Amino acid sequence: MYRVIERILNLLAFLLTVERPVTAEEIRYTVAGYDQANDDAFKRTFERDKDLLRQLGIPLRLAPTDAWEVESGYVVSADEYALPDPGLTDEERAALALAAQVVRLGGQSPGTGAIFKLGGAPATAGGEPLMADLGSATAWLPDLFLAVTERRTVRLGYRGAERGLEPYGLAFRRGHWYVVGRSRGSVRSFRVDRIESLRIGERGGAFDRPKGFRSADHLPVAPWEAGEEPQRVRVVFDHEVAWWARRQIPPGTPIEDRAGGGIEVELEVANLDAFVGWLIGFEDRAEIVEPTAVRERFVAHLGGAV
Amino acid sequence: MNSPRTVERLTRILSMLPWVMSRGGATVAEVCERFGYTRPELVRDLNLVFVCGLPGYGPGDLMVAYVDEDEVVVDMAEYFARPVRLNPAEALMLLAGGMALGQAGEAPEALSTAVAKLQRALLPGGEEISVELPAEPELVALLRRAARAGSVVRLTYSSLAGGKTSLRDVEPWSVFSTLGNWYLRGHCRTAGAERVFRVDRIRDAAETGETFDPPEDPPPPVVRYTPGVDDVRAVIELGPGAGWVAEYYPVDVIAAGEGTTTVEFSASDPSVAARLLLRLGDRARLLGGDEVATATADLRSRILARYGTA
Repeated sequence: MYRVIERILNLLAFLLTVERPVTAEEIRYTVAGYDQANDDAFKRTFERDKDLLRQLGIPLRLAPTDAWEVESGYVVSADEYALPDPGLTDEERAALALAAQVVRLGGQSPGTGAIFKLGGAPATAGGEPLMADLGSATAWLPDLFLAVTERRTVRLGYRGAERGLEPYGLAFRRGHWYVVGRSRGSVRSFRVDRIESLRIGERGGAFDRPKGFRSADHLPVAPWEAGEEPQRVRVVFDHEVAWWARRQIPPGTPIEDRAGGGIEVELEVANLDAFVGWLIGFEDRAEIVEPTAVRERFVAHLGGAV
Repeated sequence: MNSPRTVERLTRILSMLPWVMSRGGATVAEVCERFGYTRPELVRDLNLVFVCGLPGYGPGDLMVAYVDEDEVVVDMAEYFARPVRLNPAEALMLLAGGMALGQAGEAPEALSTAVAKLQRALLPGGEEISVELPAEPELVALLRRAARAGSVVRLTYSSLAGGKTSLRDVEPWSVFSTLGNWYLRGHCRTAGAERVFRVDRIRDAAETGETFDPPEDPPPPVVRYTPGVDDVRAVIELGPGAGWVAEYYPVDVIAAGEGTTTVEFSASDPSVAARLLLRLGDRARLLGGDEVATATADLRSRILARYGTA
């Protein structure tokens, strides 16, 4: 491991000071640590080192070495390399370190690397229990974050079809991440954990985000609210489950008390499928009152005679 | 492949150097505390830096880095005067983590300004990243207080399996949010074992006045259901449109075919599988599991009875 670390430090020192694109060949014969016996060994080592730079967050670009663009070389520009200084105080670093400790994303804490880059944090007490887990199926998130921040278009596979998207924002709600943006002419949200494939465009600044855009305005409030034309559905919940229904319906939903402690509510439903699934969770303690078509759809879903 | 340890070690070196340089030197104790070094680890990394630098690699080309008594000295390393930018995963984790903790009601004061500064630095175009934790049920504050004080609580709890209501004495360890809900984790005295409770399923909670010693370092909570020996099992064929089940529930994939996946599903109560099967409708088929088949048929006829059909 010592060899790798020395080689990378030498490579970075060279690239950050040379101020021009340098070819792999030049790197091989100039930078200490690349004295591999043959071409293949050098190629393997150099590929691994490029990957390591990417993991560190260091942008390595290819650029022509001369005006005729015959040859390309590698560039690490000092400005792209460096973290724009957020100007954090030690108290602020400690607060972020605490957040990194009690919030998990992708099944793990961010690790200490990010805090180190911000200038480290004075030792915290440690041992704080987990407070929030922001999802585990998050493999696409870093690429989507990059696409959002650099305004690159993406192509995503979703429900068996591929579509283009101008990603405007990323949002976490109800335990899921969504990417929100313009696709096929309208603003839509996509659940990140349901994305089947993702390719991000090469070019930054590929679109403009509408002024004052807020992802939250385009997210479903309740699971059954994401979908097409909403309709009103009246549902009765018996007294045993009324308390639980009250906790799950969106604020502002009209609720009427019924004899025996039950409630009757009028819900806005845009995704019947999701709604049916949710209602089955109440077993036989809830009943759709109207419209009849939705009642029939529910019964048909259960395989009953209509 | 590069090991994560190599990345971590380089990150620490490339973060420590600019910090020391920006202050024109620092004590060993300061650097160790801030970057989680032991003294020998720090000395080892500085020795490494000392033999690296610019082509030529003579005394005038190499960086200067060593420990002098209790001072860390770094020189001739101007190209590493600024820390490395955050990679997209780190940037998102820091932002999202800060935003999430900021909603917990107990965030340190400096957090909101820290998040605002990060947003300005990382999202210069005002791009939108938003994090909303589910609203905290009222009981969260009480449970959190009890966990901190090591105070036993009595819960009136409606379990998801079967909807039965029970009274339970629980030693609360932590309250956290995941999968869109809030959970309480602790030792259930009634069950004599560790349990995770959904806070929105707790109808009532009160401190009993008893206290307990919280565990030193409990392992991270697992909310996803872990199969137990007494579980009922079912073999289910998931058709198109039901594939998400394999990601949301703890299932063993038995076979994956053309558009279908066959899984073994475990649950502590057959009603959990019954509700899932009814929910999936014709997108799934039960291939095996008598108890689950009975429970599903029973639940279906109970619901249909309510609608006056059978």
